Amino acid sequence: MNKKYDAIIIGAGVIGCPIAYELSKMGYKTLNVDKLADAGEGSTAGSCAIVRAHYSTADGVAMAYEGFKYWLDWKKYLDNVEDEKGLARYMNTGSILIKSQGHDWKKVQKNYDEVGVQYEEWDNDKIIEMVPPADLHEFWPVMRPEDPKFFDEPTKELEGAIFCPEGGYVNDPALSAHNIMRAAEAKGAEFIFNAEVVDVRSENGKTAGITLKDGTQIDAGIVVNVGGPHSFMVNKMAEGVWEGCNIKTKALRHEVMYCPSPEGYDYLNDGYHMSDGDIGCYVRPEVGNTFLIGSEDPDCDPQEWVDPDDFYAGKGGHGKDNVLTDEQWKAQCYRLGQRIPTLQVPNQPKGVVDLYDCSDDWIPVYDKSDLPGFYMAIGTSGNQYKNAPVVGRMMAELIDACEKGLDHDKEPLQYKFQYTDRSTDVGFFSRKREINYNSSFSVNG
Amino acid sequence: MQIYVCVKHVPDSAANITIVEKNHIDENLTFLLNPYDEHAVTEAVRIKDSLPDAEIIVVCLGKDDAQKTLRSALAMGADRGVLIESNKNHDSIETAQALKTVIEQDGNPGLIFTGRESIDAEGMQTMFRIGALLDFPVATNVVKLDIEAGRAVVDSALSGGIANTYEMSLPCVIGAGRGLNTPRYPTFPDVVKSKKKSIKKIVFSDLKIESLAAGMNIVELEPLLQEREPKEIKGDAGEVAKKIVRILKEEAKVI
Repeated sequence: MNKKYDAIIIGAGVIGCPIAYELSKMGYKTLNVDKLADAGEGSTAGSCAIVRAHYSTADGVAMAYEGFKYWLDWKKYLDNVEDEKGLARYMNTGSILIKSQGHDWKKVQKNYDEVGVQYEEWDNDKIIEMVPPADLHEFWPVMRPEDPKFFDEPTKELEGAIFCPEGGYVNDPALSAHNIMRAAEAKGAEFIFNAEVVDVRSENGKTAGITLKDGTQIDAGIVVNVGGPHSFMVNKMAEGVWEGCNIKTKALRHEVMYCPSPEGYDYLNDGYHMSDGDIGCYVRPEVGNTFLIGSEDPDCDPQEWVDPDDFYAGKGGHGKDNVLTDEQWKAQCYRLGQRIPTLQVPNQPKGVVDLYDCSDDWIPVYDKSDLPGFYMAIGTSGNQYKNAPVVGRMMAELIDACEKGLDHDKEPLQYKFQYTDRSTDVGFFSRKREINYNSSFSVNG
Repeated sequence: MQIYVCVKHVPDSAANITIVEKNHIDENLTFLLNPYDEHAVTEAVRIKDSLPDAEIIVVCLGKDDAQKTLRSALAMGADRGVLIESNKNHDSIETAQALKTVIEQDGNPGLIFTGRESIDAEGMQTMFRIGALLDFPVATNVVKLDIEAGRAVVDSALSGGIANTYEMSLPCVIGAGRGLNTPRYPTFPDVVKSKKKSIKKIVFSDLKIESLAAGMNIVELEPLLQEREPKEIKGDAGEVAKKIVRILKEEAKVI
């Protein structure tokens, strides 16, 4: 006889684990199934784990600001659970958003005002005081080093920045997922690893369970797709789910670089998270006093949509596999080199290549599906790590409400945040929505 | 003084290497400046700092794509580059002949640097062959170099942490080792400056190098698969640190 659970969660990353945690707290008997060897070992491990509030929509800002409160008191969120690997740490560096043509920063500022996010406006003198090696010339538009104009002398100056004292990063994203797994287990949740889902079964138009690659069947009336870059494949396994989504997801290859901080600048201890649309980069400190340099997906950069299994197996060749490319290394490091002229750029690329589970409008899908009992928390588009604990709670409430009869498509759930005095319309994240053109269509969300 | 630095365009050691047709690799991957050659370029720049009239010329035998490697060396401080363009892979005999011919045509070497080895072929022969062809003394795996009174005083590292010190007449050939210096990588302004530096192209076949009876061809390549046996180190942080130090000392023998 098949084992039976109330809910099966496909994926044990930083979103899958908190959904299990919150459902378990509500009394659901849950099982997370992951094809890798431990929690957080998939695309969560490759996340830059940045915690910042600037999003292009007020709902996006509100959710990030709510998420920040969870990271601030991580032990409390985990209900003081012990993890033999230790606890992940939130590093509050503060977050600089450079005012540039690369960001609709006025919209972000309006959203901050609406949500009540604390911030300061910095002029260029203040930026130099806080980030001494910075060159505050304007380099816009973002270009690639293959373009000779990339090396032209800049003439204009930037117009300052918006600084949020509340912002930073989590030092070990995989560990944070592992922490949440241990917290979920303490509430009765179960996890199995090295187990690949090959089918989502349904009976009489309702979710019935999953089948693993080795033929094992596990039954549950609720299945949640939190498959990360594999989310589109999981949706295709469930009857009518893929077809019922207006917003689709795909796996997008992304490179993040580690470049040593200039001599004499203790970026690890004195540095800030900085989002710099003028050069199409975001940065945060990383161990070894290095700059972690992410890309804000400028239009001039190529986008590589890949098969996630081939990618993780190292197949596909240059620019499509899981190895950094010299071209992108130079693009991201030289762009930061424009802003930090004393940054020395090694010849050999160092960093991380992983995948975004990218939605059509770079805004996630947190929703039910056309198959009763099947839910999804997908399309995180490289910008939802910080929201993971909020999403866990919100998805659990959505699942509970739908199982109790809510027609979420007609009357969307209004989710009341736990810390900030605000609600959000979960319908904003609907699979049925039209593409949201307020989005930045980038990792900024 | 003219300082020549012979550099090689090699696959990134982090790349996924695929063997094709038994004796080639799929070259659709990132190539970069051979890491040992970074030490050679850095040392040449260090010497130039105290000899302002010195000129650093980087020379590379390779495909057109190898210009990228020459550009990297120019950004690190070399003054100009020479690419000996060839679509073939050459053995160390032909490589040394080509480098020697071009260096002699180009100028008067006071010093010639190479890396201790290239990370792709790991032949460790080119520097000796250049030295033999030019009748210059050669030291390899050099971890310390002083130029004093027209001589080079070098420490050449052997295994087990031992180094021999040699005095060499100039001109000489220096095979740079890892301990020689910390590579000085370019900043963005260095890269901008290097854009204006010249790279002269010479076609390999125009050098009219006579083929010798002796030569080396790659017959077959095989991936070297190394078995890994992960072990978990248990205990509190202090115990784990002690165990790691013991492993590094007694098993890995790297400290």
